[in-house]
Amino acid sequence: MSLTITCPICGKRDGYEFRFGGEDKGPRPEEDGLTPQRWCEYVHLNECVAGVQKEWWVHKDGCGSWFTIHRDSVMNVEVATLEAHK
Amino acid sequence: MITRINQLPTLRVDPANKVVFDYKGKDYVGVKGDTVATALYHNGVRIFGRSLKYHRPRGLYSLDGECSNTCMEIDGIPNVRTENTLVKQGMKVKEQNVKGSAENDMMGFIDKLDWMMPAGFYYKTMHKPASIWPIAMKQIRKAAGLGVLSPDFEMPGKFDQIFPSADVVVIGGGPAGMNAALAAADKGLRVIIMESRPWLGGFFDYRTFDYKDAQYKNSKPLYSRARELASKVESHANIRVFKHTSVVGTYTNNLVTGFQIGGDNDKFNERYIEIRAKSVVVAAGCIERPLLFENNERPGVMQVACAHRLARTYGILAGEKAVFSVGHDLGLEAAVDLFDLGMKIICVADVREDGQNPYLMIELAKRNIPYLKGWVASEAHGSKRVNKVTMTTLDGTISRDFECDLVVASAGLTPINGHLTLAHAKLRYDSHTNFFVADTMPEKTHAAGRMLGLEDSLSIEVSGKLAGLNAALDCKLMPQSYGNTEVDALKSEIESFTAQSKELPGPARGSKFVTAPVKGRKTFICFDEDTTIKNIKQTIDMGFDVPELIKRFTSAGTGPGQGGIPGHNLPLYVAKYTAASSKCFSSSSSSSIQSLGATPKPTNVRPPLVPTLIATYSGSKHIMMKRTPMDEMQRADGGVFRKIGVWERARYFSDDFSCKKEIENVRNNVGMLDGSTLGKFRIHGPDALKVLQRVYVSDMSKVKTGRVKYSAMCNDDGCVIDDGVVVKLAENDYYFTTSTARAGATIEWLRYHTRFDGWDFYVVNLTDSMGVINLSGPNARKVLQKITSEDVSNSAFPFSGYKEFIIKDTIPVKAMRLGFVGELSYELHVPSSYMVSLWNMVKDAGKEFNIQNFGVEAQNVLRMEKCHIILGQESEQRTNLLDLGLGFLWDRTKKDAKTIGAVALRQAENDPTRFRLVGFEMENNGRAARDGALIVDDKVRGYVCTARDSFTLNKAVGMALVESHLAKVGTRIQIFEDECKGELIYGTVVPMPFYDPDGKRMKS
Amino acid sequence: MVEIKRYSPVAFKASPKRTEVRDNWTVVLEYDGEGQAAFGQSSVNDNYLVDLSHITRFDVQSSNLDSITPFGIKIPQGLCESYLQDGVLINRMNRIQASVFCLPNKKNEMLTECKCDADCKCDPQNSSSYTETTEVGMCMAIIGKNVFSITEKLTSLDFMDSAKTTPFLYQAPMSHIPCQIITLSRDSAKSGIIFTASRGYGKDMVHAIMDAGEEFGLKPAGEDKFKSWLNNL
Repeated sequence: MSLTITCPICGKRDGYEFRFGGEDKGPRPEEDGLTPQRWCEYVHLNECVAGVQKEWWVHKDGCGSWFTIHRDSVMNVEVATLEAHK
Repeated sequence: MITRINQLPTLRVDPANKVVFDYKGKDYVGVKGDTVATALYHNGVRIFGRSLKYHRPRGLYSLDGECSNTCMEIDGIPNVRTENTLVKQGMKVKEQNVKGSAENDMMGFIDKLDWMMPAGFYYKTMHKPASIWPIAMKQIRKAAGLGVLSPDFEMPGKFDQIFPSADVVVIGGGPAGMNAALAAADKGLRVIIMESRPWLGGFFDYRTFDYKDAQYKNSKPLYSRARELASKVESHANIRVFKHTSVVGTYTNNLVTGFQIGGDNDKFNERYIEIRAKSVVVAAGCIERPLLFENNERPGVMQVACAHRLARTYGILAGEKAVFSVGHDLGLEAAVDLFDLGMKIICVADVREDGQNPYLMIELAKRNIPYLKGWVASEAHGSKRVNKVTMTTLDGTISRDFECDLVVASAGLTPINGHLTLAHAKLRYDSHTNFFVADTMPEKTHAAGRMLGLEDSLSIEVSGKLAGLNAALDCKLMPQSYGNTEVDALKSEIESFTAQSKELPGPARGSKFVTAPVKGRKTFICFDEDTTIKNIKQTIDMGFDVPELIKRFTSAGTGPGQGGIPGHNLPLYVAKYTAASSKCFSSSSSSSIQSLGATPKPTNVRPPLVPTLIATYSGSKHIMMKRTPMDEMQRADGGVFRKIGVWERARYFSDDFSCKKEIENVRNNVGMLDGSTLGKFRIHGPDALKVLQRVYVSDMSKVKTGRVKYSAMCNDDGCVIDDGVVVKLAENDYYFTTSTARAGATIEWLRYHTRFDGWDFYVVNLTDSMGVINLSGPNARKVLQKITSEDVSNSAFPFSGYKEFIIKDTIPVKAMRLGFVGELSYELHVPSSYMVSLWNMVKDAGKEFNIQNFGVEAQNVLRMEKCHIILGQESEQRTNLLDLGLGFLWDRTKKDAKTIGAVALRQAENDPTRFRLVGFEMENNGRAARDGALIVDDKVRGYVCTARDSFTLNKAVGMALVESHLAKVGTRIQIFEDECKGELIYGTVVPMPFYDPDGKRMKS
Repeated sequence: MVEIKRYSPVAFKASPKRTEVRDNWTVVLEYDGEGQAAFGQSSVNDNYLVDLSHITRFDVQSSNLDSITPFGIKIPQGLCESYLQDGVLINRMNRIQASVFCLPNKKNEMLTECKCDADCKCDPQNSSSYTETTEVGMCMAIIGKNVFSITEKLTSLDFMDSAKTTPFLYQAPMSHIPCQIITLSRDSAKSGIIFTASRGYGKDMVHAIMDAGEEFGLKPAGEDKFKSWLNNL
């Protein structure tokens, strides 16, 4: 796989070692007063940016850490910041 | 057989070392170093095979395997590129896609039927009526296609894989590539150089000319310069050389893949190579652009380097009387050199008006070789091989025929850009070189050498060196690395070489795009797919204008050679033809590239850049499966194993796959099952309980010491993803089990769903560290009591109890009283290394009760009778906790825990549209429906999860997920099975569980 | 009467020449045909695969890992760094976690006895921060001059990365299986790694490694070979 991901513990590694954990949408909303609509949006609605987005990844075949990276979804490469590749 | 010229200093074969191989059942003799193609050519073989569609005879054309002309079947493997395969003693070579022989192919008449098959012929004709297609397809498949593989074919040989580490990868072992490798390696970097031929040297390797050699201090022929560089490269401690290695893929982040063909001393046939470099140098060089004229692929027509290298590298003169039609100095050089080696050169036609190397012109004149400026080959004659060629002036006014057995034809050069474009370089057409050149390069990638249009040998070398230094700079600019002074020194070195390279000749003016003044009915632009100029014109006339789409429609360039042969000509031709606005483009006037109205657009290539065996990609093909500590013992006991998830598990213990005996033994006596694949974890730390509250639906604060608690995990949709038991070892210290399938993802799940909380907890995956024996059946207690002094009576160790004890003062056991199969049962968790010993003890103790193994399938039936679910069988990804009737597990009061799934479950609670899990039995003593069969009325209403003929109950029962209106006990359900041809079978919804509804047996 | 024995997840085709029973494990000290007992003395074939699955290992986790000193030894601070002292190999896995391997070594036999207070955190038996993981994995060493020619057929990891100093930890797949791999030496003929992977993969892992090592004459060897190699580091 051409994708590489930089694990904060293990450094830059082959993309095969990681599993995608979705776009970064922040912590779980409080349950009090939560409408089904709002919950469904939190769980299922994604921005699906054609460009750079912040994402969660887990180093499943390595140290097991969860962390975020910025990835250019068009070129499928990790980039340093949200502003990169724009 | 032709006599070999065996004294040349440029030879790469050893004429003294004979190799005998088999061609169509007869012995042929080649020499060591020959490819199969050169060995056959040497033996007089001119027709190597027949073309895909028209069954035209095809022969040696380029010598580097850029088209399928010379693909053959070797040792049973079809489509082997014989130009790239070294001949070996005893090899068995056969021609392919022929009826009869390549020489006399009974399908050869199809060539005359080309008028019936215009561009897009299949798309347009074979669909009306639709019923014709299956019949037509069969006939076409018989006639067309290349090699044939039988369905039971097994790939012979040993395949290997290797993932070497390197700082810089250099693609191409020619003069530029070798200079790049040396430059980077001298900076202390680890370099890998990959070369597709079995030696380094590139296009210097076969050339004896030194006409530009004033630049080298001691003027020397190019081939010795190549060998000098090669020996430096091969002896450099920092350079690793992969020869006979084709690069097949280049990707972002400097990933390079390729494969190496094993040599005499290698223990593999082919070896897949994958390298993640820090920087890549592409010095892949050029191939020749085919000259377009009638019958331009007739055996006897070949490219300049093919004829030249046949002589210089292999000692074979390609023909006796040759006509040259070229557009580049390399053509003139070849004519002079081949003349000196004894070939009769009838004439040399050159499409260029000017720009010829004056030195070569003098040499041609010295040898009295007729030189036709502004002439071009327009048609090759001869039914199976060339016997005559018509030469024409570019304006088509004068033509002349020449008898010959060889036409050396080339329109000029074209760069091998695939390695750049695969890694997302953007190409633009450069009108000076007439090349597609990279406009934007991939990150940390540098091109060098001839592919930039350089022709001067020193310019090529310097460009390589510069690319190597730039690659070195990429590496040294990486984090972690080097001091500023080193980087600065490197930068100034790069500057000085850049300045030096500016003094040298830059990219040369490229050869014009010339088409012979012919209609193009038999002018082939793509040999692999039998696409002619006429087909391209037809396509453009239909309205296609983008080369990539024309490529799709005509399939030009989609064969094994990909862009090799048509890659450059197709875009040029399209640009030229579309520019002729009136669409009555005059084929009688040739036009040069300058008159191309539109800018040519390149076509794409895709990996693998050269054909690669699937066997090579699969490499050493180790299947990595997990085995339980009981693996061997169970096999010895007759276990029939299946791959279940990542594990090898004993599914049956006899060839009776209904498992009658195994099941009855558990129900009536006692059986033992290997449950080691269960996920097992320890979670501890101050926030351990909070984590359990988050992931489990139940209130985990109620887990009592000495008890096991069964619960489930849901996802954010409330769908059940896992179930298992939790045991409290100490305050904030728990041991829990997960289903086999979830073991690998459990820690990940826990960490994911707590990632914003900053909780302090620690999880250890103990799955493999504990073997599990499930001891089940009415006699289970008696067996257990025999191996431990611990009181395991029903009062001391009741249902849902948890105990830790030590067997024989040695083996620590975590014991649980569970009842998955619906009988009295114990789950004994023991350290894996002791599992064999404990297993033997249990077996020993159970001997008097005739204890037996039972496998996963028996367990499946046993638990189904008890209506205990298995996730993935009684659930799919949409099945939530409530659908399964497990709502009682869910504690609604722990809102603060933000339990995963709770929100969705609350929303789903009153949803009438959801499925329900129901039990059913088959009507009229019918057999069990198959798992996965549909429950239907006029629509699909659900499906059968698990159903079996129950020996215990003497009837067929099962569980199904159905729409809620069908869930009421007594409802008749109609079951549709695959291929039942409308014959439905019927069942009735009955209460669950089917067996021992009060649970007396498992609790006794 | 069933004899109580512990079994390694790993088995070689070669037959044991000398064995020793230790804590119910039958530890192979030497295999038939592995050549001279000490590492580095044979000139022809110096690549060995050694089964160390019997050596005691621990997982240690704490939000304050600095406060924990397994057997009195400090856990390395740098992520993915390892530290070897008196036969105890400690590998920093992440901010809160380390693994501890008690290599077969004369010195660490006495390490299990702790001389600190009752609630000290150097004795795995006394502190809940530790979990014994001996049984979780197979544990093997590959030693000899072609170690990295063998590993490059199994993983793309760069063992010669100049930014790392030995010993160091890789948490990464080898032959597709997640492993902890500690490079103890990359000093030409003395090169060696030690790795752990899930116990269940024992059989297939040995098969993959022996296959990759075939062209380099990789041979199974007993614990003594490993000890002599370790003592020579």
